Amino acid sequence: MSIVDIEGLTFSFSRKEAPVIKDFSLSVGKGELVGILGQSGSGKSTLLRLISGLETPLSGTISIAGTTVVSNHVFIQPENRGVGMVFQDYALFPHMTVKENILFGLSKMPRKDRKQRVDEMLELVQMEKFEKRFPHELSGGQQQRIALARALAPKPKVLLMDEPFSNLDADLKESIREELFNILRKADMTCIMVTHDRNDVEAACDYSIVMGQADVKNHISPKKFQSIK
Amino acid sequence: MKTQLIRRNMKKEFNGWWIISLVGAVVILLPILFIFSSIFQEANENWLHIRQYLLKNYVANTIILVVLTGIFTALLGVTLAWIIAAYDFPLKRFFRWGLLLPLSIPTFIAAYTYRTMLGYTGVVQSTLRNQFDYQINSEWLRVSGISGAVFIFTLFLFPYVYLITRAFLESQSTAYIENARLLGRKPLAVFYKVVLPLSRPAIVGGIILVIYEVLGDYGVTSYLGIHTISTAIFQTWFGMYDVNSAMRLAAWLMVIIVGIFFLERLLRQGRRYHLSSKSRPLVPVKLKGIAGIAAFVYCGIVFLLGFLIPFIQLLFWAKMTFVKVWDSTFITLVYQTVFVAVISTIMILVISVVVANVSRSHSSFSFILSKIVTSGYSIPGPIIAIGVLAIFISLDHWLAPVYSKLGLGEAPLILSLSLIMLIVGYFIRFMATGFNAIEVGFEKTGKKYSEASRMLGIGMTKTFFKVDLPLIKGSLISGFILTFVEICKELPLALLLRPFNFETLATKTYQYANDEQIYEASISSLLIIVISILSVVILQMIGKKVKK
Repeated sequence: MSIVDIEGLTFSFSRKEAPVIKDFSLSVGKGELVGILGQSGSGKSTLLRLISGLETPLSGTISIAGTTVVSNHVFIQPENRGVGMVFQDYALFPHMTVKENILFGLSKMPRKDRKQRVDEMLELVQMEKFEKRFPHELSGGQQQRIALARALAPKPKVLLMDEPFSNLDADLKESIREELFNILRKADMTCIMVTHDRNDVEAACDYSIVMGQADVKNHISPKKFQSIK
Repeated sequence: MKTQLIRRNMKKEFNGWWIISLVGAVVILLPILFIFSSIFQEANENWLHIRQYLLKNYVANTIILVVLTGIFTALLGVTLAWIIAAYDFPLKRFFRWGLLLPLSIPTFIAAYTYRTMLGYTGVVQSTLRNQFDYQINSEWLRVSGISGAVFIFTLFLFPYVYLITRAFLESQSTAYIENARLLGRKPLAVFYKVVLPLSRPAIVGGIILVIYEVLGDYGVTSYLGIHTISTAIFQTWFGMYDVNSAMRLAAWLMVIIVGIFFLERLLRQGRRYHLSSKSRPLVPVKLKGIAGIAAFVYCGIVFLLGFLIPFIQLLFWAKMTFVKVWDSTFITLVYQTVFVAVISTIMILVISVVVANVSRSHSSFSFILSKIVTSGYSIPGPIIAIGVLAIFISLDHWLAPVYSKLGLGEAPLILSLSLIMLIVGYFIRFMATGFNAIEVGFEKTGKKYSEASRMLGIGMTKTFFKVDLPLIKGSLISGFILTFVEICKELPLALLLRPFNFETLATKTYQYANDEQIYEASISSLLIIVISILSVVILQMIGKKVKK
């Protein structure tokens, strides 16, 4: 069963400019981890923003778990799409503690279940001892784990990650990447990850696509990638 | 398909925030449109008289004032900005912010202070007579007419040019100035060949602010007996009770404003150099010997004339009249001023926050919206006043059947005699002050936090209260103080739109001065100045924070 279905998606920042994304289609199945590669300006991050509802396409359809979230006559607001997102710089609310950040997205959950969910998430990312800290009191890697916990807490149908490793040091990156993918597998989460680093894709993605090329419709498997390299 | 898309996009954007923004924009735009509509109405006899005999004089005086003040404030503001930004000399750090203090003295207060101080019985002439037995020609020191007004406007409005140019020079011009120095050019050549051309947009920006102040002035010009379009609006209204002709005059003033708007575009056109985004602070060169003393004396004289001398004179007068003036009516005056300013400021900030939040989408709709809500700042107070008055009188006529049903009599003027009219006037005029402060706050925090919140299933309104509001708290406070202070100082709108028997500190000060009770005006003047200094200090603090 596919969780994300994109059909004929076209987007341009202004009517005068050529489309950044043109007639793009993609289908992501449940539990799949898809990598999106491409040069800067190729529309990778824009694709995530279109799926999440932070941008509006010129044409095309996006469905999430069988519900059309955007088409020529439908637009579902971002907060009602059931999409989680880990931002490039994490965007943890600076005026809230780690616990408050994770609790933030649980307002629709019964009050008694919220605490348990926060604990589960902190355990999942192994940050139980840090719940009272503020984001500025955490290292880059710790911030990233909290951003992931916050995004997973409301149980989104799909998780979008925009360059999640770009703010990390090279030596930290490898261990954190492995950890993150383990967490995602554990949570059986469908995930689309934008990156400019092929190693990220090769490390864990089921398959990847390269944006800004003529054959964006074709999936490239990690193995095929290695052969290209 | 196109209509489908438009319908989808409208549905997507349409919410409570959008509707409130639209209402705010309509309230601001309506009086302006009303004034323009007066051009198409049939002119009355008064207008024919004004047009035939007076209009030319009004327009000429207005233009002369604008041009001369523009030139002199540019000279003073740019040279001071350059000296402070590029050089080090005794007391430079003090002058850096001290030269902003003239802005805290409203020009009409400066005008009556200088006129009295330099008059026959004033401290200057009487000291020369009594202490030195020297009789100076009174005409030399007379502050009146266009020359007097230009003197006052220059001395007390130049900080607009100084502030913007200095900020530009200190933060964005370093690489170019240092390169010019390394290439062996002398300081004067660096100034003419590099600094002036590069900072032209900043200078023009400062001068335009000065011009808006001059065009909207009523206090100085009426006190010094100059007939400008703004003073004429007051005269046709209060002297002839002719709202129609006052509106036509306002329309003429609007034509000048639009002209200046295009002139600004023209002056800036092709001069928006792409400046390096990597900015380092300019390292000032130490001035030694005579050059250092000259810089100190130049800044010192401007500071003395633009702030310290009139301030001390007012303190002296206040001491003389304190017992007479400081009574319960004065407390009421302060209360009324604070009351109307607080209510107006809250209204301004609520709408500012809503519009600024909608504007974050960067759509063409939000761009137009932000331009409309900030347009009031470039429109002189008298124009806004006449537009608001005309609208409120029409509203009263329109509501007459309702009034009569409520037993308020046949066709009474309820709204147009109420405080609401003044609050709406302030709302239009000072929306930009509040809006700009809030917009800076939103720009600083960016969209990522609210986007993150929405991705966690929280709607726009809840996101605003839980995420945005705590993050822009600082900007909200500075926006509140700046707007509050501007309203406390404001004169023309308060004079024209206040209800009977309602006085603010500014109107009372003006009234005292107009009745030649100059000494009595000093306490309220000082109170306004102290409140204004607060705004200068806050501006300075915000500047420091931004720099950090």
